[in-house]
Order: sequence, then C-alpha cells, then structure tokens
Amino acid sequence: MAVLRGYLGLAISGFIIWVTPCIARAADDVSLAGRVKLSGDYAFDRQSVKEDPSLTARLVFDGRQDAWLLHSQVEGSWEIPGDDDRQGIAFKRFNAVYQDESRFLELKELVVERQLGGIDWRFGVQRFAWGRLDEYPINDLFNPWDYGKFLVKPMEERKIGVPALSAALGRQDWTSQLVWVPWYIPYRLPEPGSRWSVTPAITTITAGHNSIVENTPQEEDLPARTLDNGSIGFRVQRLGEIEAAVNFFHGFDPRPVFRTTSLTVTESAAGWVASPGYVPSFHKITAIGLDAATVAGPFSLRGEAAYTGNRVFNVRQELWRYPETQSQGVTPLNPIEIDSDTLDYGIAADYRPFEDGLLTVQAQQTMILDRPDTLYERRVETLIWASLKVGWLNQKVETSLSLASNPEHGADMVKAGAMYIFSDSWKAEITAIFLSGPPQSLFGRYAANDQIGLEVVYQW
Amino acid sequence: MNSLFVTDWKLMLLAGCILALTLFIPAPVQAMSGRQVYEKVHELRTRGLDRQTEFTMTLFDKGGGTRSRTAVEYGKKAEGETYKVLVVFKTPPDLCDVGFLIHARTFSDRDLWAYFPEFKRIRRIPTTSQDDSFFGSDFSYDDFGGPPNLDDYTFTILREEVLDSRPCYVIEVTPKVPRKWSRNQAWVDKELFVHRKIVSYQGKEPYRDGTFTDVRIVDDLPTPFRMEMKNLKTGHRTEVAIEEIHYHTSFPDDLFTQRSLERAGK
Repeated sequence: MAVLRGYLGLAISGFIIWVTPCIARAADDVSLAGRVKLSGDYAFDRQSVKEDPSLTARLVFDGRQDAWLLHSQVEGSWEIPGDDDRQGIAFKRFNAVYQDESRFLELKELVVERQLGGIDWRFGVQRFAWGRLDEYPINDLFNPWDYGKFLVKPMEERKIGVPALSAALGRQDWTSQLVWVPWYIPYRLPEPGSRWSVTPAITTITAGHNSIVENTPQEEDLPARTLDNGSIGFRVQRLGEIEAAVNFFHGFDPRPVFRTTSLTVTESAAGWVASPGYVPSFHKITAIGLDAATVAGPFSLRGEAAYTGNRVFNVRQELWRYPETQSQGVTPLNPIEIDSDTLDYGIAADYRPFEDGLLTVQAQQTMILDRPDTLYERRVETLIWASLKVGWLNQKVETSLSLASNPEHGADMVKAGAMYIFSDSWKAEITAIFLSGPPQSLFGRYAANDQIGLEVVYQW
Repeated sequence: MNSLFVTDWKLMLLAGCILALTLFIPAPVQAMSGRQVYEKVHELRTRGLDRQTEFTMTLFDKGGGTRSRTAVEYGKKAEGETYKVLVVFKTPPDLCDVGFLIHARTFSDRDLWAYFPEFKRIRRIPTTSQDDSFFGSDFSYDDFGGPPNLDDYTFTILREEVLDSRPCYVIEVTPKVPRKWSRNQAWVDKELFVHRKIVSYQGKEPYRDGTFTDVRIVDDLPTPFRMEMKNLKTGHRTEVAIEEIHYHTSFPDDLFTQRSLERAGK
C-alpha cells in the first residue's frame, strides 16, 4: 500500500511538473525556478543515529493570466545510497503524523489567487506567516511543523502547507486577512529510529533490552473532516510609525503532544515487538494575540504576545508509569495530558553593528497559568535567541552564528555556518550545530545530534 | 575752461562708447549657487519619480568574477514630497522576488521595508541603514531611494570643468548630519542637470567613485542608462545598465503596499 501511495505521489508530482510548462506557455507572465541540493552530515557522537547523504530538489512555478495567479512549490528528497529496505518514494501525506524522511515528494504550496471586489482571494495549499518573531513565533499557528531534521531546517522550511481559503483586503494603512482551513492537517514527526526522532520514555525502557526489535508508535485517527474541525483566524494590521496587528485563531494546536493508551509487548519470530502506548493527540485552542513593529534609531524592534486557551501539555515522562522491568503483555499507562491557558510574549531587535552585519536578539516567555507540579515545563519558560549574520566580500561569503538558550532547564543550542557563493547558480555551505541540556528539554532531547553538515546547492 | 570742456567732451564720448558696448555685448549669466544647481537636479529627479525601470546590476570582484542581478523598480509620486518606490529582484534565484518598499512622507522622512520570500516575512529597515550596501553592490539603499532632502546638505561650487566633452559644475555636497560619506564631490552636467560623476569621501580619503554615462533624453528627462560605482578601497565595482525605462507612468496605490511587496508586485 505504501509503495502504491509512493507511486501515486510520484505520479501527482510528475503531473504537476508536466502540466507546469503547459500553463507556462498559456500564461502572460511565468517563472520557473528550481534548486538541487546535495547535503551530508558528519555526526560527532558515534552512537547517534546516522543519516545518509541526500539529494533534495525543489521546483517553484509562478504564472499569471489576466487577474489569476498560480503558485506552486514541489520538493523531493532522496537519500544516497538510501535504505534498501524501502521501496519507491513516499508522497508526504496530509493525514499522517509519522512520515519517512529518507525518500519523499512533498507538495509544499499550490495556490490559485484572484482579485475580486478589491479582495485578494487565495485558495489551495498555503503557508502563512503571522506575527513578528523568528524561529518560535507565537501567533503563527495555521501551519503545523514537520519535525524531520528539526532545528537544522530554517523555520519556513519546517512549515507544512495546509489547504486553505484566505481573503485579504487592503485599505490605505489597514490590511485585514481572513483564513479558513477546512480540515485538520497534523504535525509531522520523523519515524522512530531516525536521527531527529524523539521517542519519549519508552526509549529508556527499551534501550538495554536487546530482545525488543521494533518500537513502533501508532498513528491516531485524525479528527473527522467536518466543518467543526476546521481552523479559522483573522488578522487586522495597521501601518504607521508603529505597525500593529491583532490576531485571532481558533483551531487545532500545531504543537505536538501525546496521549497514552497502553504499553503492549508481543512476541514475534525475530523477538519482542513493543507498541509504546502513546499516540499523537490533537486539541483545539483559541488564541488572541497582538504584534507590533517599529524602528527606533538604528534598531528595528518587533514584539508579539498571545493569550491561548486550552493548550495541552504532557506531564514529565517519569510519570507516564512505564514499568521498571519489561514483560510481554499489556500495561496501562497513566493519563499524561494537562490543559492550561497560557500567555506567550516576546520581543526582538535587529541591529546593524556594521555594514553587511545583522545582529538579531530575541527573548520570549511562555507563562503556563494553571501549571501543576507534574509538568516538566516551569510556570515561566524562557527562550533567548541571538543571531549574527555577516556578509563579506560584497556578500560573496556569508557567515552566521546563532545561540539559543532555555535557561530554566540549562538547555542550549549553538549553530555556526559559512556559505560561499561561487556564482549566481552555485553555492556551498558548511554548518555546525551543538545541542545540550536535560533529555526532556527543547534542545537536550537532541543532545546526541551534534553534527557538522555540508551542502552544495545549484539554483536556476 | 576750454580744456575742461574738451575733457568733458572726451569723457562723454567715452561714456557713450561704454553705454553702446553694454547694449551690444550680452550681459554675463548670473552665476548659479551650488544649491540652485541641485534644485534643478532635484526638480528633474522629482519629475521622474513616476516611472518603471528594468535594470541589470553586475557585480565585479577584484579577481574578475561576476554576479548579476536583474530587477524592476516602480515609482509613484503623490502630493507634496510624498512618493512611493517598489523594487523587486527577478534574478539571481537567491534574490528572485526579494523586494523593498519605500513610503516617503517627505524627502527626509521615509519608511523602508524589505521582504525575503524564503522567510515570508516583511521587515522594517531603519533609515540609518540607508548608506549600507544595496544587496551586495557598491551602490547604497539611498542611491535607489529617491531624491534627497536638500536642506540636509550644503552645496559649494568648487569649479567648472569639462568631463567627457560635457561642461560640468563640480560641486562639493556635504551632509549636515553624520553619514557614511563625510562629503561628496559631484560633477553635474551644466545643460542637462544630471550627475556625470560622483566621488564619495570618508574623511579625506576618496572611498567610492561613480560615473554616469550614456545619457539619453527619455520623455523630456535626461537619464543615464549606464552607471558604474567603484569601491576604491576594495577594488570591487558594480555596473547598473538600464534595460528599459518609462516615465509618466500611473501605477495604482495597490502596487505599493506590503501585500504587493509579498507578491513581488504581481
């Protein structure tokens, strides 16, 4: 079935690639851009899960015919030499959480736009960018994230395009946007056993248990595709000395949480098979937020805040009630979901300390208003993030350094990169990432994933 | 008495000759001040704000390597000193659909935004960055930002000089507030009132050298079709060639919104 889906995905992507030039011939104004990237990583921790080098291709098409606009972005990735056990190419699905990162095709965006009655109508698979903060925005809730290669990918590449209808209206200094996502699209997690997968407590149970040969989290049924289970939001923004916007969102929380079922260990010919007893969980939230931006002297200042009702958190993993010793059979686990309202707020400043240098400093906090002691997260969780990007030799060389810290748990991330632009089409980048912290913290859960990566990119 | 008469007669004859000469010899042109020259330059630039320009920008490394960018600039003049500019890059792939938008309330008070499609976010740029490199080139954001506020500068004519067979005023332009360039020396065409050359200084040292050639009259407006800016410190240089330009355009206000910036003016 998976193979069939893979070929179906390939066929759909092939169709898009084939039909695109046909539309291009018919349209008034078209552009077709592409990118091929060869990348590979060296893992510092020899015990950590390795990734094969991969080839990633992206095709972006824009076409305009009269008042119609069509925009599409398709992406595919193939590991080299690839896992021989896998066959075909999986098409990234809109109805599954755990998805293969090694060979896939993904429809990132496919949008048709038309202006009618002074309103820009957009229909199709879209990605939105609400709010003002980088990396961990507060009001940007429509697009769930793909956690495959999380923290290595830029934020915009983490976003999963969602089928949506949006309408935008601009009147002088005012802009308003209404978005409706008719059905729920879940976040994506890498398959267990892959480099950027996060497997909660069961890992500690099974780590020393050689007889467990498979540890497969189960998919959860998605909310029914009814009007009730869509997401809706609006944003009203005003330009001025201080640009400010009000945001409203009602829909499913894009952040991953789990609910427990039962730990089930069965025997197969090869050994024990464990079903770890938790499944992805989906919850509706309501968020009301504000964001603003202004300039003050040499600083570009940004900030946003949101009050969110009914967010769900998981309790500390040691409270999930995994048994001390593993045995065959079914072991019920504790309920692990806690809901609480939250208040998120953050500010950021951009500053150019010198020409071709951009320093960004950002601080944000999440206040869990009804926090019980069973949560790993503290009542106030802080994330401080700083980034310095510098262009050299008229931006032929670009270097970057990012530091992130979650001081409540002593979790940190350091990312450094250097990119050399050979020509308008060719460039190469080397990036190193170092992560540390306790196992359940934002960065600490990937502490074994320190790595250095190399990318060679060809664009046209 | 007689001698006095003779003297008076000679004096009257002399006065008559001088009077006659003054009637037939054209009066010397009233010399322009540096400020007046720049008012002319400013007037032409302001008249040219309603326009669409397609241009190619080529960056030359000291070692001979080149990179190129193509872009479209849209401009719209409104009442008073108000104007709007949208610049959108078409190539290279890295910069495709990257744009920046200017809303000028006056010649000295502008809002700047930049949009990077990779991040799908619009950022406000402080006007203190206006002297920074324009997307890796040797031009600055300010070079693409519309006419300056003349009251922010002092203008002194240093001399008159013929440059490439064109008579020019050589004018020292000094910002009243600290800027990246402590002063500029500009060669302004005496007939067309366009720049032919600008040398910018940091302290006493010349830092960049710009030349403006291939001046053509388009819709009554003199327009340099080729501009070169050379960084005298690094040896890097940038050429801008106008591929196509149309003045007296009349774009809708919708083209100069953040939403339009996000859609690369489409």
